Amino acid sequence: MSTQLLNVSALSAGTEDKPILHGVDLAVGAGECHVLMGPNGAGKSTLGHVIMGDPAYRVTGGRIEFDGADVTELSADKRSLAGIFLSYQAPVEVPGVPLYSFLRSICQMRPELKTTARKFRERVGAIADQLELDQGFLMRELNVGFSGGEKKKIEMLQLLLLQPKLAILDETDSGLDVDALGIVSRGIQAYREQVGGALIVITHNTRILERLEVDRTHVMVHGRMVAEGPAELIADIDKNGFERFERGAGQDDAACAECPGCPMVGDAE
Amino acid sequence: MAEKNGALAADAAGAAPELTLERVNVAPAQTWNRLRTNDITLTVPAHSRAGDVYFSLPRLFEGVECGMGRKVTDWVESQAADARYVEVPRGERREEPIVVAVGTGDVADTGVMVRSGAEATIVVAAGAGEKDGETGTSASLVRIIAEAGARVHLHEYVGVGAGQQHLESVGISAARDARVDVHQYLLGGGTVALGFACDLAGERARVDLGCRYHACGTEVLDINEVVRQRGRNTRSELAYNGVLEDAARKGLRTTIDLVHGAKGAQGNEAETVLVLGDDVVNKTLPTILCDEDDVAGNHGATIGSVSPEQLAFLASRGLSREDAEELFVRALYEDALMHAPCPEARAVVNDSIGDRPLLNHGPDDSKGVCPQLNHPEEA
Repeated sequence: MSTQLLNVSALSAGTEDKPILHGVDLAVGAGECHVLMGPNGAGKSTLGHVIMGDPAYRVTGGRIEFDGADVTELSADKRSLAGIFLSYQAPVEVPGVPLYSFLRSICQMRPELKTTARKFRERVGAIADQLELDQGFLMRELNVGFSGGEKKKIEMLQLLLLQPKLAILDETDSGLDVDALGIVSRGIQAYREQVGGALIVITHNTRILERLEVDRTHVMVHGRMVAEGPAELIADIDKNGFERFERGAGQDDAACAECPGCPMVGDAE
Repeated sequence: MAEKNGALAADAAGAAPELTLERVNVAPAQTWNRLRTNDITLTVPAHSRAGDVYFSLPRLFEGVECGMGRKVTDWVESQAADARYVEVPRGERREEPIVVAVGTGDVADTGVMVRSGAEATIVVAAGAGEKDGETGTSASLVRIIAEAGARVHLHEYVGVGAGQQHLESVGISAARDARVDVHQYLLGGGTVALGFACDLAGERARVDLGCRYHACGTEVLDINEVVRQRGRNTRSELAYNGVLEDAARKGLRTTIDLVHGAKGAQGNEAETVLVLGDDVVNKTLPTILCDEDDVAGNHGATIGSVSPEQLAFLASRGLSREDAEELFVRALYEDALMHAPCPEARAVVNDSIGDRPLLNHGPDDSKGVCPQLNHPEEA
């Protein structure tokens, strides 16, 4: 049994005016690979963002422990420095900031990654080559005018550069063509091999999982964790869909009253 | 007259004579005067050059409109020790940049003739080696004639001290199929006034201009840029991106003039300003003048602070709000360093950094910051 890295217990959260997560539990051991699945609007991305500490969401109950410390009240930047990484489904454009400057800055924030400019250039260049990313991108403004696939590659570049203990990949495979999907998958695999970090993969597409050894699979419906199982559960969902989980979740709606500040079942997102 | 009165007053007091240049850097189209954004008034030294032998530029350059206007052109011509004329012969690609280095108190008058099919890089570097506490006025007047099919790369690096004033006036005339790209980095100074005028006279002439600026403290930055599109199917792309801090004051006037007869011409102008100080004064006057049917002109401006989405994204990478805001400023200087075409331009950036250490400006990195630069010294 690996050491516990992330422990989410009885987590309820949402936006200012709408509850989305209801008493969610999730435990991830160091170096483990977990897959989070569920129908659209189940709250998967919200869970990823809440674990990351996105200020757009408010935690109304429960706690998040990471690497032995309670991070529930910690700001996102501090969680990031502690070793949590969230790969955005739609990475934000930041005009005025060249990608290279951004990468250099986020590495310099981490004492363990501080290095000379020359070594940094070499490292970034090597990762860019690995991801088949034209180094001309390094001169361009962060995510501005990039295609969807390019943005995802840039996210992978950051993942490999920052070497976090836990990476949450929020539908990293969405919008990718077959070739780009292969490159991104190899990037994730490289992260696992080189860094040995834990993964939470939020996805609808099982192709991205083909190269990964999955430890646990979780299913979310209506902002609740409704099922958990081994890697084989993925194939089952691929074949039979989420219908049975959604039916089960509907029967549990009454239990939502247990969530602090949540008078009704949230429709999630 | 302001000039005479100023000179007389200075003579009486025994100080250096001064001249007031009233209402310079004026946009072709005006708005309400009460908005105080139509122009700027500057006080400049007016040294007597009686008895000096002065080399003037060829008369052809007199017809080149300059961004800061006739008054500033006349003043520069009256104050410059000499005029420098450079000609790039027909069809020649000049590798070595034409560098105009301007220090405290310097006034430079430069004319560049880029003959048909030739290519040249021109660099204005104002402020390298400036010392804290120095005062004075420097100026650079650059006039460029790009003949048919010529390629011109103009880099302007301005970073003078907080007690200094700099005037930068540029005029370009572009003939048929001429291409001009302009890279402006305005990195601060007590008062910096920049005027740019480009006449796209020939068919398919094109100008691409990128201006990045930073002002902080009580610095004043005044910019007036005019592109006159007279030729058919001409094209202008103007992009401005700046950061204003503390109580900095900035005025930007941009004009795309789609002149009668410029069928098929297109002009676009966009500005993004990041305001990081409660006392910042930011004024923008974008104008598109149009006297032709078959043309397209667009402009847009985004003014504000770092958006919540950007802050959340940057936080997820370990950057607090303060770190994120600092990143925007630092990125501007790093971008200037990345694109610096010569040591003089790099020196302006390095001297402008001051107390703002660049993260990637380590001892092994004095020649640039990006792998794309391929500096032979670093190989």
